[in-house]
Amino acid sequence: MNNLMVLIKKEYTQMFRDYKVFWLPIIFILLGATQPLVTYYLPSILEALGGSQGITIDSSMTAQSGGEVLTTTLGSQFDQLGLMILSISLMGIIQADKANGMLSFILTRPVTVPSYVVGKLVSNYFLSALSVTIGYFVSYLYVNVLFTPIPFSSMFTGLLFYLLWVLFIVSFTTMISTVFHSQGIIALISIVVLLGCRIIVGLSPIIDRVNPASMSKLAMETLATGLVNTNAIINILLTLVLVLFTFFITNYWITKKKFHHG
Amino acid sequence: MKLEINHVSKSFYGKTAVNNFSMELHSGECVGLIGPNGAGKSTLIKLVADILDPNGGEILLNGEKISKMKKEIGYLPQYPNFFHWMTAKETLTFMVQLSGLKKEELKKSIPEILTKVGLKDVGNSKVGTFSGGMKQRLGIAQALLHKPSFIVMDEPVSALDPIGRREVLNLIEEIKRETTILLSTHILSDAEEICERFVMIKEGTKIEDTTITELLNRHSENKFIVEITAKDQQWIHVVKKLPYVKEVEVTGHKVKISVDHIEKNKNLLLQHALEHKVDIIKFEINRDTLEEIFLKLVVQN
Repeated sequence: MNNLMVLIKKEYTQMFRDYKVFWLPIIFILLGATQPLVTYYLPSILEALGGSQGITIDSSMTAQSGGEVLTTTLGSQFDQLGLMILSISLMGIIQADKANGMLSFILTRPVTVPSYVVGKLVSNYFLSALSVTIGYFVSYLYVNVLFTPIPFSSMFTGLLFYLLWVLFIVSFTTMISTVFHSQGIIALISIVVLLGCRIIVGLSPIIDRVNPASMSKLAMETLATGLVNTNAIINILLTLVLVLFTFFITNYWITKKKFHHG
Repeated sequence: MKLEINHVSKSFYGKTAVNNFSMELHSGECVGLIGPNGAGKSTLIKLVADILDPNGGEILLNGEKISKMKKEIGYLPQYPNFFHWMTAKETLTFMVQLSGLKKEELKKSIPEILTKVGLKDVGNSKVGTFSGGMKQRLGIAQALLHKPSFIVMDEPVSALDPIGRREVLNLIEEIKRETTILLSTHILSDAEEICERFVMIKEGTKIEDTTITELLNRHSENKFIVEITAKDQQWIHVVKKLPYVKEVEVTGHKVKISVDHIEKNKNLLLQHALEHKVDIIKFEINRDTLEEIFLKLVVQN
């Protein structure tokens, strides 16, 4: 346990020195603010730019409920640009230690592979989740001011669902970072697979059951309708199983390979 | 303390790197693992440091599997990289805390070890700004700090320039009084300087395990080299007729003389030369250098 704390502390020191603790939340704040602001001001922007002739904008068409706007924050901002940024910010999570020999160096100490991996996952997940939460909360505040208010409970439940999806994003990228050697390949594979998961959501209920990206869909449903899907529990469990699976692959790979440099 | 390497083998994708290798290392020893490039030195070091698992055989420290005794190993990799954003002090604290030492224990020991390796003034500088020699010395500091039973070093000086090399060699010379050391190198003069005992490895197999004096004695021949001035060339003809002289070889001013029983006849020959008023510039027993012995062993085996 002591080793785990040392490793987690080291991760945070590194995140501070890299300024990652600042820029990651800032990006999500910007992403979170974009959707409600653009949606709210779009009619006036179009009006100002478009003049009075031609297509007129029926303002009732753009009047969305608060829940819908927060839903699009998740769907159009976090699940696209946000997901890519998360993957890119995590691509070197294990690969960097592997490449400069620090992984094997650390493992010559009495450090177990699981405590090394857990240290990486906990520290990076916490920062990622915190950034997403802050961005989401900013979006929530704007929505409440500019659109109809969202009940706190749906906002909170939606967030929990979404953070589970973020957990999978982190653990999956970590696994890919362990298996592959080049940062570019790691980012590419992670982004393609995770976006792929996100895109196929809704195609088939059976795939949705095992698709961790359906956590994002559940979050959006909760926001839009205020109700929690009855199948959610199975979905949650299966997502957790997938997270554990990526964790075991990461562990297994490091233990089996016993990485060495040069 | 006793480190046993018992019939250890390791292969990568069917290519054997270490083949049925056995040796023992006792407290206070300093053992140089020498061999040509690709002989399996690094692999063996990594097996001892528990970075790699052997395919066969086992490595025991005081009778326990090495993987359970990681606290007792101090390891210095060939290219210690560290995290470039950490300072020297932070690096030491981080590495040693992983070995289970408490932060309070380090308050005194870190400045001490930094002084010892000559990095006292740069303790708060980022490791990224360090030269190769400084990194290597920091590497030695982190290997020593948790007071392990022994330290393993993979080519500690091979990648350094002459100044860095000298710094690190002096440091090893100093720490070897208190520590048990196993180091690999392909630079023989370094090994000769630091270690008393050598293990030669070739194609993953141990071909020699001996002390330096034994090795030199075993490979020395009964030959003198006498360097004389030009005016004494006639003496060579006299020497040839001496009963105990077997053979004389002349190259320039150097005369190589083979004799029976070198210990007994050494002084006789010297006396003989003095009686003939030979102007001796140099008189020495010819010994193969470590390098010559090494080449002989590696090529012939």
